[in-house]
Amino acid sequence: MPITLLKSLELHSDKLWSIDSAKGLMATASSDRKIKLVNLRATDIREVEELDDSTHKKSVRSVAFRPHSSILAAGSFDSTISVWGQDENEDTQGTFQETELLAIIEGHENEVKSVAWSHAGEFLASCSRDKSVWIWEADEMGEEYECLSVLQEHSQDVKHVAWHPSMNLLASSSYDDTIRLWREDSDDWECVTVLNGHEGTVWCSAFETSESQLRLVSCSDDATVRVWKYVEEGDDGEDIWTLEAVLPRIHSRAVYSVSWSPGGFIASVGSDGLLVVYKETELGTWEVVAEKEEAHGVFEINTVKWANVNNKELLLTGGDDGNANVWSFDP
Amino acid sequence: RLLAKEAYLNDAVAPGLTDTDTDDSELEEAEDPIDAQEVYDMIAHISDPEHPLTLGQLAVVNLPDIDVRENKDKTKISEVIVKITPTITHCSLATLIGLGIRVRLERSLPPRYRITILLKSGSHQSENQVNKQLNDKERVAAACDNDQLLGVVSKMLSTCK
Repeated sequence: MPITLLKSLELHSDKLWSIDSAKGLMATASSDRKIKLVNLRATDIREVEELDDSTHKKSVRSVAFRPHSSILAAGSFDSTISVWGQDENEDTQGTFQETELLAIIEGHENEVKSVAWSHAGEFLASCSRDKSVWIWEADEMGEEYECLSVLQEHSQDVKHVAWHPSMNLLASSSYDDTIRLWREDSDDWECVTVLNGHEGTVWCSAFETSESQLRLVSCSDDATVRVWKYVEEGDDGEDIWTLEAVLPRIHSRAVYSVSWSPGGFIASVGSDGLLVVYKETELGTWEVVAEKEEAHGVFEINTVKWANVNNKELLLTGGDDGNANVWSFDP
Repeated sequence: RLLAKEAYLNDAVAPGLTDTDTDDSELEEAEDPIDAQEVYDMIAHISDPEHPLTLGQLAVVNLPDIDVRENKDKTKISEVIVKITPTITHCSLATLIGLGIRVRLERSLPPRYRITILLKSGSHQSENQVNKQLNDKERVAAACDNDQLLGVVSKMLSTCK
């Protein structure tokens, strides 16, 4: 089994919902209303900071690091988004610096379910039970936010938003069982395609890191993981996408999270407690190369993220036990 | 959830303290598996939100509609499926009743149980919609973050033994 547990961190007293990682740091969000930071580079992989827990009045559902910065955004069931960062002007060599609250973004009517930064760190996307996706433009300091667009085409809660790793293309997953893709079009954002096929809530999606092709992986309450592929531009300005593959049906219950590694592996986790890694053997054909049962004991797993730390591929998972597990993966 | 976690840990530790000679398999047999009657007893005394009666008295919950799929290995997932019968097919409180049952079971059962709450087939005009909502863990978690809603649920659960 090429998946090996390196460390299990007991971080939260309630469900751990979301993990993100950048520059050797891991951030976690939980129903205990706390956000924590963990140093993945340290040999003992340890918690380094707990952000001010009086900021959110309800569960923190999602965390996302802004690329090319040390800024973190967090979405909460209290309907707000908090943005955190460090004062980079101060000389703090070798000394611990506390992360400060930079901004609170208000706008959604109710629970914020997911936040995500575009590849250049220019845009922040958020989504909510209010059925909308908002696109915010951020200033360089991360302190000012202007809403550019409110996208209201989903008919139900929007569960998750994900940006493409090198293009301004956004995917939103919904309780209405669909995924919508959005692109900037002469000053506004437009839905360029709707991906139909899942037979239940779509919980999460992730784009492939690739220069030559455009693909998206998604996972659902219907217990499947699917890969979608861009085909061509249609006549009416819409993009044409097709379902390329349904990955091997190994999950027995809802699949809550997927992550596509820069090296081409897909990982999925869900209600059945399984952590699965898939490999593409030839274009459009996938096989399971590793699986870990009860990866969080008897608890459900809500999130999985690939992270590259010290040139090693790590898998980060978070579950209802409140723990974050750090796994090594050897292909 | 936290209470359930604690109870589960105590259960797992207690037999080992009283009898050091038992091996693992005997230890697990010593624990009573949960059956449908126990699940029924946990939820039958929940009060209906609009009648002065319990869900058991109103036959909203019924013993034959509770299915327990017990995995003997306590390190694996087990399942509890409860089918409820609302008193009228357009009952606007079906979602609230289902939420009350889910909260009660999540607090009472060890965390290895996955709980599915469904409306009995044909018992409600918005069956699929209500079922989807009752089994969406994120919506349930958000409902439990809502003090007003949690207050109503707590009142329903106050008649539980």
